[in-house]
Amino acid sequence: MNTPARIAITGLGTWIGARLAERLLAHKAGLSVIGVDIRRPYRLEGRIRFHRVDLTDPTADGRLAEILERERVEAFVHAAFRREPTPDLDYDHELETLGSLHVLHACAAAKVRRFVLASSTMLYGPWPDNPNFLTEQHPLRGHPDAHSVRNRVEVEALLAGWATRHPDCEVTVLRPCWIMGPSYWDHVVRMFARPVVATLLGYDPLLQFVHEEDCLRAFEAATLARHPGVFNLVGRGVLPLSTVIALAGKRSLPLPVPLFYRMLHYPAQGQTGDPPAGFYDYLRYLWVADGERGWNAFGEPLYTTREAWISFVSSRRLRRYR
Amino acid sequence: MALGGEEEGGGGGELRRALDALRDEIRARLPLASVAGESGGAGPDWMELFDELRRRVSSLGMSERSGEVDEFGMDELVLRQAEPLLDFLMDRWWRVDVQGAKNVPPAGGCLLVANGSGLLPYDGLMISHALGRGQPLDARPRFLVADWLITLPFVQPYLARVGGVRACRENAQRLLARGRRVVAFPEGVKGAAKVFRERYRLKRFGRGGVVRVAIESGTPLVPVAVVGAEEAHPILFKIETVARIVGLPFIPVTPTFPALGPFGLVPLPSKWSVHFGQAIALDYLGSEAADDELLVSRLTEELRAQIQTMVEQALHERRSVWG
Repeated sequence: MNTPARIAITGLGTWIGARLAERLLAHKAGLSVIGVDIRRPYRLEGRIRFHRVDLTDPTADGRLAEILERERVEAFVHAAFRREPTPDLDYDHELETLGSLHVLHACAAAKVRRFVLASSTMLYGPWPDNPNFLTEQHPLRGHPDAHSVRNRVEVEALLAGWATRHPDCEVTVLRPCWIMGPSYWDHVVRMFARPVVATLLGYDPLLQFVHEEDCLRAFEAATLARHPGVFNLVGRGVLPLSTVIALAGKRSLPLPVPLFYRMLHYPAQGQTGDPPAGFYDYLRYLWVADGERGWNAFGEPLYTTREAWISFVSSRRLRRYR
Repeated sequence: MALGGEEEGGGGGELRRALDALRDEIRARLPLASVAGESGGAGPDWMELFDELRRRVSSLGMSERSGEVDEFGMDELVLRQAEPLLDFLMDRWWRVDVQGAKNVPPAGGCLLVANGSGLLPYDGLMISHALGRGQPLDARPRFLVADWLITLPFVQPYLARVGGVRACRENAQRLLARGRRVVAFPEGVKGAAKVFRERYRLKRFGRGGVVRVAIESGTPLVPVAVVGAEEAHPILFKIETVARIVGLPFIPVTPTFPALGPFGLVPLPSKWSVHFGQAIALDYLGSEAADDELLVSRLTEELRAQIQTMVEQALHERRSVWG
């Protein structure tokens, strides 16, 4: 299949969903974009064909299949994932795991030819026995405390099984690492945007970032051309956490591990937008991914890890200090 | 193959300079600064105090790190600063006698396999320093470190910066594929945990990982015998119950540790010698030989026996532990 003419996207409220839709609309081939979400995307009003579907609804798969068939959708981008960890674990599970199951059922019924999943290298999980560079073959071990990560590991397992049963559908899984850039915003960015960044005393792991532009470019390429398989989307190079904080001119607050985990438990419960305590293992152990496969498929990234970080820092500073 | 860190070079540096200039300008224009200047106010003092405290706590002597690390986290600046200390340890403290360094292939990757000893990877550091001294950073051998040590708080940031890499197949293969020299201690924790009366008796070489990696990557193996390191931290016996709680495999009891507290961590000044044996080429086997378990285990045992012989010969030659 060459360039698909009709592309459906779930999760238009997420950053990837919304930005990808805008990019595809701007594409010169005159693509038609079908949006599926629970809320009407006002920014894209009038430019996309919007269908309101609640993926947590038990009959969502039938309804979605009907829409996909009616719109004769050729490619499907699944990005309906929470980008913020919430205390509402049941809803998260309903939306992410069961919602994805509904999406897969619908895609199978409508015989969608290409399926792109927005995943994350966070799914490898921070583990003390990770190799320095995780390749796409490495098992997804997630993190026992990070529920959203656990749901998404389940989604990838579901998709892998589904892909073997539907060999005529080209399945692409894109795993970006932490995204940085002028417009991207999630709980990781919020953590780094604070004047003081809490870190773990005695740990200084290597981190990597991908710039939002490189990330979107890969998503666009995977949607429009044939790139079956799993790809890590990362910038070149790694930076120690201490350097990341120093480059931003911020302060780090190193806290001893046991105290840290206890303290961090409460803000997360109090819905301040802080990630759950287990998340901070991502600032403790290595979970750097090998981007070679992604670079070969989608081209050399425009930004290295360092440049992606500086791009984020400079944009944020201008915004705050002007 | 160029490294990520090198490629960032120009663009990243320029951006950073521009960013620094911007930050200085913003600081100069901020009203906070002028207020502080007039009243000598408490606000900035607190900030300074906080900064100072944070620096003390978080950097512990690494305040001068450059922040430019290679893909495995080695920091050129830290390494250059540590050089005098490494030189001192090598020339004065342990008076390391290096023999057969010409057996190590001058270019391309190779896997140096040594007998391990002690909890802290002094032996890896010394082998790496013996070969990498006065050479560009890329030529410096990287030493593999057991994972419990390289993820230990406070130890982790330092070990990575001076060239330690977590011991696992993926890392070794990646380094060898980039033409780096890698120092491995295939005895693992068993080797580190040897008590004094078991000194210089090599333990089993795991499941033959080193040989398999060498076959798969087509790089030669260089057997290395380190003598003297066992006496630097002679382990009299091990405490295992308390160690579980702290997260260590065991707590060693040496003549000086824990009796002298932190001073007990200072290694004894035994006389060291490092012997590099003839390189063993395995590339004639072809990478599919790595799946031949019988062959791998036979080669592993041969390698172990060879290093054991080298160690015994070196022991025989040395006059005394301190000589």
